[in-house]
Amino acid sequence: MLSLESITKTTQDWLLAKFDPTIALAIECVIVILLCITLFAVLGLVLVLLERKVAARIQIRLGPNRVGPGGIFQTAADTLKLIMKEGLTPDTADKFLFNLAPFVVMMVAMLLLAPIAFAKNFQIWDINIGVLYISSVSSLSVIGILMAGWASNNKYSLLGAMRSGAQIVSYELSAGFAVLTIVVLTGSLQISEIVAAQENGWWLFKGHIPVVIAFVLYIIAVTAETNRAPFDLAEAESELTAGFHTEYSGMKFALFFLAEYINIFIVCAIGATLFLGGWMPFHIGSWEAFNHIMDYIPSSIWFMGKTFFLIFLIMWFRWTFPRLRVDQLLNLEWKYLLPISLFNLLLVTVVAIMGWHF
Amino acid sequence: MFLKDYISDVYNGVASLLKGMRKTGYYFTHSKEIITEQYPDNRATLKLADRFKGEVVMPHDDNNEHTCTGCTACELACPNGTIKIITKFDITPEGKKKKAIDAFIYRLEMCTLCNLCITACPSDAIKMVPNFEHSVFDRSKLTKILNKPGSKIKEGIE
Amino acid sequence: MNVSSILFYAISAFILGAGILAVTSVKIFRAAIWLLFSLVGIAALYFWMQVEFIAAIQIVVYVGGIVVLIIFSIFLTQHSGKEMKSTPLNKKIFSALAALFGTAFVHNLIVHYDGFAFNSAEPFNANVAKIGTQMLSTTSHGFILPFEVVSMLLLAAMIGCIVIAMRPAQTTAADTNILNHKN
Repeated sequence: MLSLESITKTTQDWLLAKFDPTIALAIECVIVILLCITLFAVLGLVLVLLERKVAARIQIRLGPNRVGPGGIFQTAADTLKLIMKEGLTPDTADKFLFNLAPFVVMMVAMLLLAPIAFAKNFQIWDINIGVLYISSVSSLSVIGILMAGWASNNKYSLLGAMRSGAQIVSYELSAGFAVLTIVVLTGSLQISEIVAAQENGWWLFKGHIPVVIAFVLYIIAVTAETNRAPFDLAEAESELTAGFHTEYSGMKFALFFLAEYINIFIVCAIGATLFLGGWMPFHIGSWEAFNHIMDYIPSSIWFMGKTFFLIFLIMWFRWTFPRLRVDQLLNLEWKYLLPISLFNLLLVTVVAIMGWHF
Repeated sequence: MFLKDYISDVYNGVASLLKGMRKTGYYFTHSKEIITEQYPDNRATLKLADRFKGEVVMPHDDNNEHTCTGCTACELACPNGTIKIITKFDITPEGKKKKAIDAFIYRLEMCTLCNLCITACPSDAIKMVPNFEHSVFDRSKLTKILNKPGSKIKEGIE
Repeated sequence: MNVSSILFYAISAFILGAGILAVTSVKIFRAAIWLLFSLVGIAALYFWMQVEFIAAIQIVVYVGGIVVLIIFSIFLTQHSGKEMKSTPLNKKIFSALAALFGTAFVHNLIVHYDGFAFNSAEPFNANVAKIGTQMLSTTSHGFILPFEVVSMLLLAAMIGCIVIAMRPAQTTAADTNILNHKN
C-alpha cells in the first residue's frame, strides 16, 4: 500500500545506496526544505481562501466567486498582485530590522514545523522534547512582531507591537499549562509517544473532564497567541490601522500574512496531536473490528481532517465574537484562564496518579 | 460568595459565547439564508429589500393626477437644498385662484436619500423607490422634474 | 575537519559576531536584537551538543523571557531610532581589558583541566525524564534542596511584586472627616 511512510523509506534507501551518508543527509535536508516551502505556499493559498469562504457563509454572503470556478483561484490572483507590488521601506525606518522582521516571523513558523507528525512515521524531527520545543520556539515569534513594530517608526505600529507582546507573553502561560496536562497524562514530551499513547482512544475522550477543560483553554490561548480575532488587538484595523504591519507592503506584507496562517495551521496541528490523537485513527478501547475498519483510512487524512476541524473552529470564533479591549484581554488571561489552568493542572495530576482516566 | 460569583461568571460567559456561535453556525450550515445578489448577472430577477431607498418619485394615478399641493414642506425639510418647488396659481372653474405646483425640481446628485422630505410631506405626494442605476454621462440629467407634464392635483386635496 | 566541527565553528562565529555587534551598536534596540541573536546562537550550540532540553530552556528563559522584557523596557523608555552617545575611550579600554581578562581566565581553566576530556565511548544521554528525576531526587546528587530554595526565592519575589503593585486604600482627609462624622 502506498503511504507517506513507504515513500520516505524508499527515498532514503535509494539515497543511501547511491551516495555516502553525509551527502544523502544533505540531499534529504534540501528535499525537506523544498517540501516545507511548498507546504507553506499551498497552505497559505488554501487557508486564506477557506477563511474568506467561511467568513462569507457565516455572514450570509457568498464570498469570492469570480476568479476560477467558485472563486478557487482568488488567493492565487491576490498573491500575484502582492508579488508585483512594490515593497516599500519608509524613509525614517530602521531599514535593516524593518526588512529582517518578516523573515524572522517566517523562520519561526518554519522551525515550528519540525516536530509535527503529519502521518504515521512521517515526521521531520522526532525530538525528545517535542512539546517543549514547540512552546519555546513559538515564544520567538513575538520578537519578529516587536521588531516590525519598532523598526517601522510609526506610532500605530509600535502600539500594535506592544499590545501583541503583552498578549503573547501572557497567553503563552495558559497554552503551556494546557499542553502540560497532556504531558502529565502521557508522561513524555515526545510527539511520537504522545500519539502512541492515544492508540486506544484520544485524550479528549480518555482524559474526560480535565482534558476537556484543557482543550478549551488551549483553543482560547492559541487563538490569542496567533493574534486572531477576538484577540486581534495587535492588528485591530479599526484602531491601529493594522498595527505592526501598517508600513509593510507587497511581498513583505504577504510574508506576515502567510506566517499568520501558517501559525494557525501549526497550533491547530499541535492541538490535534495532543488532544485528538494526531494521525491516530479513531479507536475505541478494545473494539478490534471497529478499530481495524478505522485503520483503512490513511493516517495523513486523519491528521489533516482533525487539523482542519480545529482551524474551522478558530475561524468560527473569529467571525462570531467581537474584539476585546486591552484590559478585558488581560483580565481574561490573568483572572480567569491562568487560575483555571493551574487548578486544572492539579486536577489532572490527581487523575493521573489515581489512574482515573481510561 | 466570591467563588460562587466567579464560577457563575465563567458559566455565563461560556453560555453567551456558545449562543453566539450557535447563531453563526446556523448561518454557516444554511445556504438558503445567503442574501448576496449577484447584481449584473441576475438583473432580471433582482430582489431588493422593501425599505431600500434609491430615488424620490411622485406617484401619478391613471388620470395623470398627483397629490402635491405645493406646500414646500419638503423643500424646507431638505437639509441640502435638493428640492426646489416652483408654484403657480390655477384658476378654478368657479373663478377662484388656487395654488398649485408648476415644477417639482429634484436634484438627485445632491440627494443623500435621508427620507426627511417623505416624512415631512403632509399629503403623501412623494415616495422613495428602489431604483439605483443612476449612472448617466451628463449630470444635468440628474436634475429631474417630478410632476409629469400636464398633470394636475387630485380633487379634494387641500 | 568534518561537518560537525564546521557547524560548531559556524555557530560560534555567529554567536561571537552577534555579541560584538550587540556591544558596539549605537542604537539600543539593535543592540537588544543582536543580543537576542547571540542567545539564539547559544541555543543552537546546545542543539548541536544534543542537549535539547537545555536548548529549549535557553530559548524560553533568555530569548522568550529576558530579551522580550529588555525590549519592552526599551519601548517604554527610549525614543525610536535615536542614536546613543558613543562610549568614552577610557570606558572602551576598560571593557576591552575586562573581556580579555575573562577570556584569559577561562582559557587558563580549560588548559589546566586538559580541555575537558570526555569519554566518547559512553553515549551522552540527557533525556527529560532523567533531568526531572534528578531535580526532585533526595538521594546524593539530588537537587531537591537547591530547587526548593530557588522556588522560595521566586515566591518571595512574587509576593514582593504584589505588595508593590497593591495600591493601599486611599483615605483622603475628606474621607476621614466623613468617617469621623459617622462615628
